[in-house]
Amino acid sequence: MTGDTRSALFFLPAWPPAADAVLWVSLTLVIAALLGEFVYRWLRLPRVVGYAAVGTIVSALDLGLGPGLKPGLRSIVDLALALLLFELGSRINLRWLRTNPWLLATSLAEAALAFGAVYLALSAVGTDARTATAIAAIAIGTSPAVVMRVASEFEASGQVTERMIVLTGLNTFYAVLASKFVFGWLHAEYIGSLVRAFAHPLYLLAGSAIVAALLAFSVSMIARRLDLRNENSTLLLLGMILLALSITKMANLSTLLVPLLAGVMLRNSTERPWIWPRHFGTAGGALVLMLFVVTGSVWSVDTLLEGAVLGAAVIVARVVAKLVATTLLAAPSGISLRQGLALGVTLMPMSGAALVMMVELQNLYPEFASQLTAVVFSAIAFLELIGPIAVHLALRWVHEENLR
Amino acid sequence: MALEPFAESRALTLGVELELQIVNTHDFDLTHGANDLLRLVGKRKLPGEVKPEMTGSMIELSTGICRDYAEALAHLSEIRDVLVHCANRLNVGLSGGGTHPFQDWSQRRIYDTPRFHMLSELYGYLSKQFTIFGQHVHIGCAGPDAALVLLHGLSRFIPHFIALSASSPFVQGTDTGFHSARLNSVFAFPLSGRAPFTLTWEEFSRYFEKMARTGVVQSMKDFYWDIRPKPEFGTIEVRVLDTPLTIEKAAALAAYIQCVARWLSFEQPFRPAEDDYLVYTFNRFQACRFGFDGTFVDPQTGEHRTIREDIAETLAEVEQHAIELGAEDACRRVRDDIGALGNDATWIRQTFERENLLPEVVRQQCLRWSR
Repeated sequence: MTGDTRSALFFLPAWPPAADAVLWVSLTLVIAALLGEFVYRWLRLPRVVGYAAVGTIVSALDLGLGPGLKPGLRSIVDLALALLLFELGSRINLRWLRTNPWLLATSLAEAALAFGAVYLALSAVGTDARTATAIAAIAIGTSPAVVMRVASEFEASGQVTERMIVLTGLNTFYAVLASKFVFGWLHAEYIGSLVRAFAHPLYLLAGSAIVAALLAFSVSMIARRLDLRNENSTLLLLGMILLALSITKMANLSTLLVPLLAGVMLRNSTERPWIWPRHFGTAGGALVLMLFVVTGSVWSVDTLLEGAVLGAAVIVARVVAKLVATTLLAAPSGISLRQGLALGVTLMPMSGAALVMMVELQNLYPEFASQLTAVVFSAIAFLELIGPIAVHLALRWVHEENLR
Repeated sequence: MALEPFAESRALTLGVELELQIVNTHDFDLTHGANDLLRLVGKRKLPGEVKPEMTGSMIELSTGICRDYAEALAHLSEIRDVLVHCANRLNVGLSGGGTHPFQDWSQRRIYDTPRFHMLSELYGYLSKQFTIFGQHVHIGCAGPDAALVLLHGLSRFIPHFIALSASSPFVQGTDTGFHSARLNSVFAFPLSGRAPFTLTWEEFSRYFEKMARTGVVQSMKDFYWDIRPKPEFGTIEVRVLDTPLTIEKAAALAAYIQCVARWLSFEQPFRPAEDDYLVYTFNRFQACRFGFDGTFVDPQTGEHRTIREDIAETLAEVEQHAIELGAEDACRRVRDDIGALGNDATWIRQTFERENLLPEVVRQQCLRWSR
């Protein structure tokens, strides 16, 4: 008898048992889904607040995720944001901006004012001009994820909902371009090359537009033959967006711009309505849940201690600026003052997209980015929880939520 | 509450009311846009009126008092243009059609006025299912007795009006097989149907008082009859029409009713009788279900023919009156419809067959409404 040298009980697991990533991911899904439902049923708040709270708790217990974004988690964020941005883009009807130029004016005004207000607020408390400019650029954008999630969770419809979606799409577009431009320009000051300042945003815009056009074109070709409401076609659509996203990453283009532009191009290339299940069914829904957990977890106790005050200043300056623009232009753009106020509040959330812009800055200009992280991550940490609640209450205030 | 006295109005004048759908331009489902539209429209001067309706995704427009087809069409197109301009600023679409083809009735919200809330509580889901869109045509009457005689005379032609205006083949996403499925929702209401057979205002007042005493009704508004007197305006109101997809058709249908009314009042081709109503619900069902191909049973002779044939015969009868009223164009449109063109329900079905996507059908309905 040849001896088996293993112990008699070799089939038992090692102690302590080694957990793999799958365990953590599934645990996160279970807890987040439970907490989301709890928040929704008992507190009557958007489920995403529960998802984000899971991330917040993970970071509060210092379980070693943050601050910042690990590459594996980055992919989840990119994928989920791509789906939401594509969905959001496909709701933007550019003709509306032509027939109602005051809406375009509102968009430009709220973005410009938010940039200016954040810059001034930060300068006033002694932040140096370069850091203030960079943070202000990121702060232009509203979170597409929060806006799309809350709107669909409460089946919102009406003027504020529609305008919130359009303004979010536009200000995300501005924020990506502005942040890239600002970062490049700031960097040019170090190395004295203005080419880099202009070349990078230009490359991003042109390159992203090309990939986006390819995506939009292929989707429209598919939709000609298949019904996008059918589950299999939805998976196909999901696959195509993910494929476009990986091409985007390989070409160093913007993972935010490509899906957003593709959605806009699709919507505006034909008049025929595009209809698919929201967030592309269950697969997309799981990604979106993970997105909120991850963005909820980017902060740490240290970043909060360092950046909480400035983060709060950014939030206040930004929301005031957006409110001023939307209320002043409410009447000319054809909505009531109340709707204008609500619209301003709905533009408050900042989460996934801001996180991605921040992380890209970290990758490109690590030393410079380190000065921003505390402030931006603190602002994201607050708004991750407050933002969805603000959108929900604002939409309810103007009676645009349709839950039975 | 007593029945109000019958107001004076010029005989055979016209008024048109249309209930319109407000849809979003994303998936073309109904959307709550009435408040926003009313706010924008409120600043403009119009020949008629624009009012809220039962739910926030519905808006009602009405012309002023018109002499003829041309004037009704002019009023309608002026109001339409303003409404479409305001809708564009809000990025919402406006559409005709008796039903929204795929809306989910549980999603509808009741417009915020006490009367609408009262109705909503009383009728429950019916009131939300009542998210249906109709055209009402008012015909001015010389006096209350004349109004009742005209009312019962026009009852014979109800199937014509239903078949011509029918534009509600789809309900909740499925083809009902009906040309006007909208009327099925109306028939569910307890006080729908036809007016009692009374030919004098005195008799009618007695009926109304008896009903009022039972506490079932408070005012004329509580009756959902196919044609009802409107003492406040001094008119009778034909209420069986689906909102057509275009204002041209809406005006033409109003003019056709006006022509028939003139013919009935001037020539008195038959004396209304209670027995006319023996075939009433049969004829009405045939029109809702089959449109122009439905069977029409002549209440006087018992003869069977298609509704198409009966409309053609009526067009021939009223020809002289159409000339007098300047409604030749309107009658030509009606003739085209019963010929090759078909009604709007047929157009909706054909469009769906081609596009295979109901939101796209609604989008094309919006296009037809706005030009």
